[in-house]
Formats: sequence, C-alpha cells, structure tokens
Amino acid sequence: MERAKKSSASSRAGLVLPWVAFLQLVLMAGSGLVGVDALRFEVPAAATKCIAEEIQPNVLVLGDYSVVSAGDASHRITVKVTSPYGQQLYFQENVQVGQFGFTTKEGGNFMACFWMQNAPQTLTISLDLDWKTGVAAKDWEDIAKKDKLDGMEVELRKLEEAVESIHAEMLYLRDREKEMRNINEVTNARVAWFSIMSLFICLSVAGWQLWHLKSFFERKKLL
Amino acid sequence: MEIDLCFRIALLVLLASCVAGPVQGIRFVLDRKECFSHEVHWEHDNVDVSFVVIKADNPWSFNRLGVDLTVEAPNGRLLYNGHQKEDDKFEFEAPVRGFYRFCFSNISPMHETIDFDVHIGHITSREELAKPEDFDPLLHQISVIEEALYGVRFEQHWLQAQTDHQAIMNEAMSRRVIYKALLESAALVACSFLQVFLLQRLFERKLGKGSRV
Repeated sequence: MERAKKSSASSRAGLVLPWVAFLQLVLMAGSGLVGVDALRFEVPAAATKCIAEEIQPNVLVLGDYSVVSAGDASHRITVKVTSPYGQQLYFQENVQVGQFGFTTKEGGNFMACFWMQNAPQTLTISLDLDWKTGVAAKDWEDIAKKDKLDGMEVELRKLEEAVESIHAEMLYLRDREKEMRNINEVTNARVAWFSIMSLFICLSVAGWQLWHLKSFFERKKLL
Repeated sequence: MEIDLCFRIALLVLLASCVAGPVQGIRFVLDRKECFSHEVHWEHDNVDVSFVVIKADNPWSFNRLGVDLTVEAPNGRLLYNGHQKEDDKFEFEAPVRGFYRFCFSNISPMHETIDFDVHIGHITSREELAKPEDFDPLLHQISVIEEALYGVRFEQHWLQAQTDHQAIMNEAMSRRVIYKALLESAALVACSFLQVFLLQRLFERKLGKGSRV
C-alpha cells in the first residue's frame, strides 16, 4: 500500500515537475536578459558616450549591452571598458550585442565607452546597457545548482551578500570621511598660518618702507 | 518529492515577485543634453531617483552649476521638472508601465560630471499571483526585506556621491588658501616697492626743480 501511494504521488509530481522546472529555467534565464533592467541612452555618430561608476575592489561587474534595432537597419558600435588606471579591460569593435564581465582589482572609476565607427554624421542609435555590480551580477542559478540550495536559501544568501556590500560601502564612506576631516584640519591650520605670514610680510614691508624713506630723506638733507 | 515540488513552486513565485531592479548608479559627463530611458514593468511601482553634480569641468568654478532634469512618463505626462539644481533626491509612483524618460540639460558652457541613480522597487502582492494559494508569507517578507535593503543601498549611493563632491571641493579649497596667501603677499611686496619708487621719484623731481633748502 505504502509503495503504491508513493509511486502515485511521484507520478503526479513527475507530470508537474518538468513543467515547473522549465518555467523556473525560463524565469531565471529571463532575468538575465538585457531588456529587463537596462538603461537606454542614445549614441550620436560623432561623439563618444561614456558611462562610469565608482566601484569597490573585489566586486564582480557584469555588463550587457545591445543596440536597439530601429526597423531593419543594423548598426554596430564599438565598446571599450577601462579601469581607473586606464588599463583596458574589454574591447570589441563593430558589434550589436555583447556582454563583459570582470572582477575589480582596485577601487575607483570604471568606465564603459561606446562610439560608432564609419557611420553617417546624422545617425543616432539607441543603446541598452545593463550594468550590474556585486549581488546582482552573480549567477544565482549556477550557485543554487552547485551548492544544491533551494529557493529560500538562495534568497537568504542574496540578502546576506547585499548586507555585506552595504557594510563594505559604509566602511568606505567612513574612510572617505576621515580623509576629508584630515584635509579640513590641514586647511584650517593653513588658513591660520598663512594669514599670520601675510600679516608678518605686510608689517615687515611697511617697516622696510619707513626705513628706506627715512634714509632717503636724510640723504637728501630734508630730515 | 512533494516537498521538492513545493519549494520549486515557491522559488518560481519568488523569482516572479523579485525581478524588480536593483540600484543602477552611473556617472556620466553632461555636455548639453542627455536622456536616459528605463523600463518600469509594473504600474504602481515605487521609483526612487537621485542625482548629484560631482564636479564641473573647470576647476576654478566657484560653485557647482545646476542642471535641469525632467522625468516623463510613457503617456507623456511630466512627473518631475527641476531647474538649476545641484543635487536632488525624490520618488514617485509609476502611473503606467513602460519606458520612463529622464532628461538632463545644461545651460552653462562647462561640462559637468553627474552621478545619476534610479531604483525601481516592486513587491508582488497576493492579488497579483496567478494562484493566490501559492502566496507564501515567509517569502513575501523576505522580498520586503530585500526591497528595504535596496532602498538602503540607494541612499548610500547618494551619500557617496555627495561625499565625493565634498572631497573635491575640500581639496580645491585647501589649494586655494595657499594660492590666495602667496598672491596676497606678492601683491603687498610689489605694491610697497612701487610706493617707495614713486615717492622717491616724486621727491627727486621736486628737489631737482625747486629751490635748495
């Protein structure tokens, strides 16, 4: 009896399970598509458009870009991603769709630049850019499969990573604030010392004037 | 098997509910006019927008120059119109779904670096689900927490942008103090030399022309 019950339950689940798994895959794959959370902007023919972000070190960055097709015209753009020290991290010429990913080694301004080569001067194309950093950039489907996590655990782990990134950014803000405090104190000291120096120079120059003019008048036998 | 199926359905539900956008904070250089579009997938979503002018191209500009920002809904309605602001943070409820347009325009001749952040938050309510019995209050609470965390990150990004601007301004101020003091001293010394020279010349001329004492 027990075995029959179990087999009927499993056969019911067996009918529903592939459908659920398929939908799950579709949804997970769908959330990785460019159009979902992308920012759309225009790239004119003559100019270079650059999008940058201040990113902490050791953060995973993922970028998806695609040219928004207007009608049947297929325009191509050139992409270049650079690190804060000018090092080129990604370069692709004349593409329509693409993806780049890297882990930041240092903190700073990471920039993605887009421009068109050999395009008519009046052309302006729309570009979709999905720029994800940190928690959003990780492949959660892959992590869930590797570590065999269920839905709840995946979400909780995402929350944990989000909290950790907030903490890291808070520490960075604190360091930045300390630097600014130092600069402010240096500026305060500078204002005081340089004002005294100015006053000293003013008085000494006035004294020199008096002495020089007195000796001049004595020479001219007026005093 | 039953439990596995339950969890898979729960995961589906959760994914369907939490595909709302994480924060998209970017920096760009504004020349004259720059427009961005972002898609909002569900109506009545809460959209948080913030922008901060980090610096102007000219290092000697004495204060930040403001920019104009307009936010346009897909149905053409103007949701926000800001004039000459150096930073702002606001939110609105999206009336319809579709592409929302954020346009910045700059009337000053200098290029400005702007930090722009958009966050669209959505939490699936019980009514939106296809099968209301799939609604799991625990997963719903987790998605509420996730949304709150994204809100915290949004605020933090704005704070970071403001701090960056303050840091640039402070360094500029520190340098200007020295330049001002040196310039002042040089001007004083030059002025006093000029005074002495002119007085000497005046007296020599008068003594040369006039009668001897």
